Amino acid sequence: MRFQIPIGPQHPALKEPISLRMTVEGEIIRDADIRLGYNHRGLEKLAEQKTWIQNIYLTERICGICSHSHTTCYVQGVEKLMELEPPKRGLYIRTLVAELERIHSHLLWLGVAGHEAGFDSFFMYTWRDREIVMDILEIICGNRVHYGINTIGGVRRDLDEQQVKHILDSLAILRQRSEYYQHLGTNEPSFVARLAGVGYLSREDAIALCAVGPTLRASGVPMDVRKDDPYAVYDEVPFEVCTADTCDVLGRTVVRIKELFQCYNIIEYLLKNLPSGPVAVRAPRRAKPNEVVSRYEAPRGENIHYIKSNGTDKPERLKVRAPTLGNYAATIKMLKNGFIADVPLIFAAIDPCICCAERAVSLVDARSGQEKIISMNSLKTLSLKVSAGKARKREAEWPL
Amino acid sequence: MSDQILMDKAKASLGDRVVEITNPAPRRIFIRVKVDDLLAAVGWLKNEMGFTHLATISGVDLGQAFEVLYHFANNFTCVNIRTEIPRDNPLLPSICELIPGAILYERELQDMFGIVVQNIPDTRPLLLPDGWPAGNYPLRKDWKYERPPEVIPGGKK
Repeated sequence: MRFQIPIGPQHPALKEPISLRMTVEGEIIRDADIRLGYNHRGLEKLAEQKTWIQNIYLTERICGICSHSHTTCYVQGVEKLMELEPPKRGLYIRTLVAELERIHSHLLWLGVAGHEAGFDSFFMYTWRDREIVMDILEIICGNRVHYGINTIGGVRRDLDEQQVKHILDSLAILRQRSEYYQHLGTNEPSFVARLAGVGYLSREDAIALCAVGPTLRASGVPMDVRKDDPYAVYDEVPFEVCTADTCDVLGRTVVRIKELFQCYNIIEYLLKNLPSGPVAVRAPRRAKPNEVVSRYEAPRGENIHYIKSNGTDKPERLKVRAPTLGNYAATIKMLKNGFIADVPLIFAAIDPCICCAERAVSLVDARSGQEKIISMNSLKTLSLKVSAGKARKREAEWPL
Repeated sequence: MSDQILMDKAKASLGDRVVEITNPAPRRIFIRVKVDDLLAAVGWLKNEMGFTHLATISGVDLGQAFEVLYHFANNFTCVNIRTEIPRDNPLLPSICELIPGAILYERELQDMFGIVVQNIPDTRPLLLPDGWPAGNYPLRKDWKYERPPEVIPGGKK
């Protein structure tokens, strides 16, 4: 018999509302379905009613973790529409914040992965060290989450010598800590055994389902917008695209740890070669009718904005595709034929508390495929009816 | 592969099917095709040029028509195929046969613009809630949101 188990949209273990429906046969997931829209805020419609400047702060609020990704993607598109050339120093600071954000996002992910794998000391270590990056971000931008540093034509705040020194000092600590995590994440036997082989996504599937970011790179596809379509100052910064070929959660962990080291190298390069000069140029209020496709490598993958202007101070259309949406189709593929116990690892943010998920289960008759949803009470009545007259547990024979 | 080579190949392979081809910025190519030639153009891009990564599909309300843009990318450049469909008969062929990862974007188009995607493997709404009134498509320009008047259960005393 196949059961459908709903997880969410409201679930104590979910950080954000999403509805997952797993069709399970015993412990094995046969089918998974995702229902979105519980957190749909109508941002694309709202953006059409706001001015170019107001939209920077609107796009910043698309996500709380990659907030800089969305503003940068939007701002560099608008700069093309307005034919602006931001000064070099502004671009360097913008890239610096982007890489700091990547570090904080990857450390956060590592912690969640450790937590879901039952390795909580790893989670506490990485999140403690993540505070170092958050402090750097607060020193540069004044904020920890919504940095508010981007503006059309550059950035809003400059760096001074003291801040540069502080960042470089903190970076030395982070680098040392990350080496320890690299050793731990790839050598600790129980951790590796928990991650290896879970959530398998073959190279062909990853390409066919248009996966993005570390998910795609862990399947052995070297695709990174920073390298393929360099924006800001990535064409002059030396770095490598990190890949893994194990196609599982272990590979995704390895890719992210490798990327951490690339981030440290990039930041060091940026700080040592920081050009002098202004950080921003003045932007006009209106943009000529035109259109632009802006791409950006967010910590979770490729972020793309399509912006169309119509000559006024408001956009005609702003289309946003965040990296997570690009990865949903691949996630369904990863969940299929896996175990229920692997759902939290594959989703990496969802707690395995499936039994207490909802009070309604839908029963699918495996032979007819008929589906009905019944409440827990009537399920109890049904089970009593079915088991009436049967031998009680203590009289039953142990099956093994 | 530079943009110019790709544009030449597009003109050579697709011939008359290409209505317009532009290259407004480095690594950005826009190809306009008729809606009947869409599958041929996407198939050419995928099978002969090796563009397997569909970044997203954008819909734009132009008033009398909808413009649909398919953003493709590979390691060298970004190709955007655009087509227009009339507003009163918004039929679009599904490209899921060629690019299975397009399913979520096509479902989003159906929700937000009321575009009917033919032969789509999954027709259910993706983003809009279950009780959403039929014929309301939020990203159409003529759609305005009106907040329903707040009613306090039991009445105000």
